Amino acid sequence: MASGEWLDEMRRILGADIQELPYTSAQWQELHPLLERGRHAARIHADGTVYMKMSGESDRMECLEIRRPERLSDTELNLISLLLSNLKPDRSGHSAATGAEKQALALGAWVMEQLDRPQAEMIPEGLTLGGRLYADMIPFLLIREYSGLTEEPYTELEKLLRSFFEEEVLLIPLQRNEWLILSPMSPLSDSRLDGGDDEESEEESLRSIGLGLHEMLASEWLGECHLALSFPIQPSKSIVESVAQLRETIQLGRRFQVGSNVHLPWQLHLERLLSAIPESDRARFVEQAFSRSDYYVEPEILTTLETFFVLDCNVSETAKKLYIHRNTLLYRLDKLKQETGLDVRLFRDAVMVKIILLLYKVTKRP
Amino acid sequence: MAGVRLEHIFKKYPGSDIASVKDINLDIKDKEFLVLVGPSGCGKSTTLRMIAGLEEISEGKLFIGDRLVNDVAPKDRDIAMVFQSYALYPHMNVYQNMAFGLKLRKFKKADIDKRVREAAKILDIEHLLDRKPKALSGGQRQRVALGRAIVREPQVFLMDEPLSNLDAKLRGQMRAEISKLTKRLETTTIYVTHDQIEAMTMGDRIVVMKDGLIQQNATPEELYNHPVNIFVAGFIGAPAMNFITGMLSEASGSVRFKAPGVDVILAEGKAKALREKGFVGKEVILGIRPEDLHEEPVFLEASPNSIVTATIEVAENLGHEMYLYLNGIGNDTVIARVDGRSGMRDGTNVKLALDMNKIHVFDKETELNLFEN
Repeated sequence: MASGEWLDEMRRILGADIQELPYTSAQWQELHPLLERGRHAARIHADGTVYMKMSGESDRMECLEIRRPERLSDTELNLISLLLSNLKPDRSGHSAATGAEKQALALGAWVMEQLDRPQAEMIPEGLTLGGRLYADMIPFLLIREYSGLTEEPYTELEKLLRSFFEEEVLLIPLQRNEWLILSPMSPLSDSRLDGGDDEESEEESLRSIGLGLHEMLASEWLGECHLALSFPIQPSKSIVESVAQLRETIQLGRRFQVGSNVHLPWQLHLERLLSAIPESDRARFVEQAFSRSDYYVEPEILTTLETFFVLDCNVSETAKKLYIHRNTLLYRLDKLKQETGLDVRLFRDAVMVKIILLLYKVTKRP
Repeated sequence: MAGVRLEHIFKKYPGSDIASVKDINLDIKDKEFLVLVGPSGCGKSTTLRMIAGLEEISEGKLFIGDRLVNDVAPKDRDIAMVFQSYALYPHMNVYQNMAFGLKLRKFKKADIDKRVREAAKILDIEHLLDRKPKALSGGQRQRVALGRAIVREPQVFLMDEPLSNLDAKLRGQMRAEISKLTKRLETTTIYVTHDQIEAMTMGDRIVVMKDGLIQQNATPEELYNHPVNIFVAGFIGAPAMNFITGMLSEASGSVRFKAPGVDVILAEGKAKALREKGFVGKEVILGIRPEDLHEEPVFLEASPNSIVTATIEVAENLGHEMYLYLNGIGNDTVIARVDGRSGMRDGTNVKLALDMNKIHVFDKETELNLFEN
């Protein structure tokens, strides 16, 4: 339905005085200091009129003016708000997409299609984004969990990523709230240059980039989001495999790394293996382990064990990190041994406890 | 600058029947330093993340200043966050890290430069501006993360366990620096920690949380001296408050508290309150802080009605003070904090007097402090 038509229809149904008008961002802000960003479309009440933002960028936007809104109930106003937010993709979404965005959307759709196939095809020449997929790039998969945003985020996100990487970035929408980001290699080399005397591994550099990017996205744009990244790839050869791997990484990370938002495939090998075990077997194993004692998951011992494993079972470092005396840590570990029969200072028992804790997270044990 | 108001805030995750954060009401004043403290899983970080806009608010209203911000994106809330990970942007130098947020907001170059250099001066990192994060120590990185927040000149700072990745010495140092900094900048600050020492030393006000609920919202002194329940009493203070389960009884006009190895007479004011509430003849929990058990002869002489005898299981001498781990007072180990020069030894018997004016008595059923509720 064209813009004029749906507006006429709305006026007819509601019997209300509704106008569509352009506003600049400054005019919009001046309307009222108390801006209610409703769940659907931003709304302002001022001077006996309700203003609802429909679409547009910060310098120019389209708004709906509803005069004498007292003739409408709150429910009706909320429904208009909802309608506007749902109209937006049709009104200003893909049809208004730039050439680059259209190409990225087409590539994203192709990748999604290939993910369902047993064997991915070669990428068609027309989808290589002008040959840019032949260069080595760092792949990131970004999944947005929540944001108060209602705008189409592609342009804004791309701009943000370009500022962050200080170079051109390929942003490929896969699904709603899921994007593949292909960044240039320069951050990897930049982060390793001038970085002190210690040689940083590629894994460490990538982890730092991931953490930095996540923090920037969370605070500057997205809110809650999960990010997975991997070693550089040549997208023309392995874009589909890379997306599959990063999706699996996020899926495993969400289950096993609760509280963490940046997930790295090389840190999830054991988790991948464990998730392949049938659920009934996993549950049985956990039940057996916990039948002797559930001391492992006492909050204090859980934090102690997690820190102990992160720090490679180093007693001194763990005590330092936990801000406790070394003897206190040894006491806790002795108590664990006494309760469970497992001494995590021994490699064999440490592996067992690590597995028990990982499986405990994913088996819905009451 | 602005205050922050939370009205009946709830957080429920999809697929879960139980709310992780339940009916939080808080009014954080402009320029106030508020600490959210509690054990892991108590909902403190979730509350902070809802204020930051990183997590959706399931129910309730959140105001920053007079503005309702429930559905405002994080970047538009005029807040600045410092996380536990203090992840810096590794490919940018310190200057660029601090300038990035301002650049995004299209500040003029000269303004950016002025703000970054001022913040760097405050944090004493001017000499590090050209360095990449990898070449910085943990403490220096933490300062840069703070600098990134300061340059924004936000209405509110949100800090989520920002010191937990630092070692003990640096943590103590940064604790004092953050306190000084926020006082100097006069910015409203909401600070999350599980460390009660951080909470006590930094907060103008402390909110203790457990199981998604506020247990107590008070000044550090109030919280320490007047905990409303056993949880708060046990959580605030290190070593923690001692708890002894026993019976209250009345004899010869005095209210006595009796437990294995304990038979003491309560101070009249406290006895009166317990009588009025009908707790005489009932089982209760007596709480006493380690520093309120005294071994000094003068105190013992002055307190004949509150003397207990115990065996020292372990005496930990920290130099300026000594912790005595005692058996024979109630059924559990009791800790006393005494003078480091008291010469106490493991395995010996000791006489101690309880300061009966400082005791707390808790209802065994509700765990509420009977003097505070």
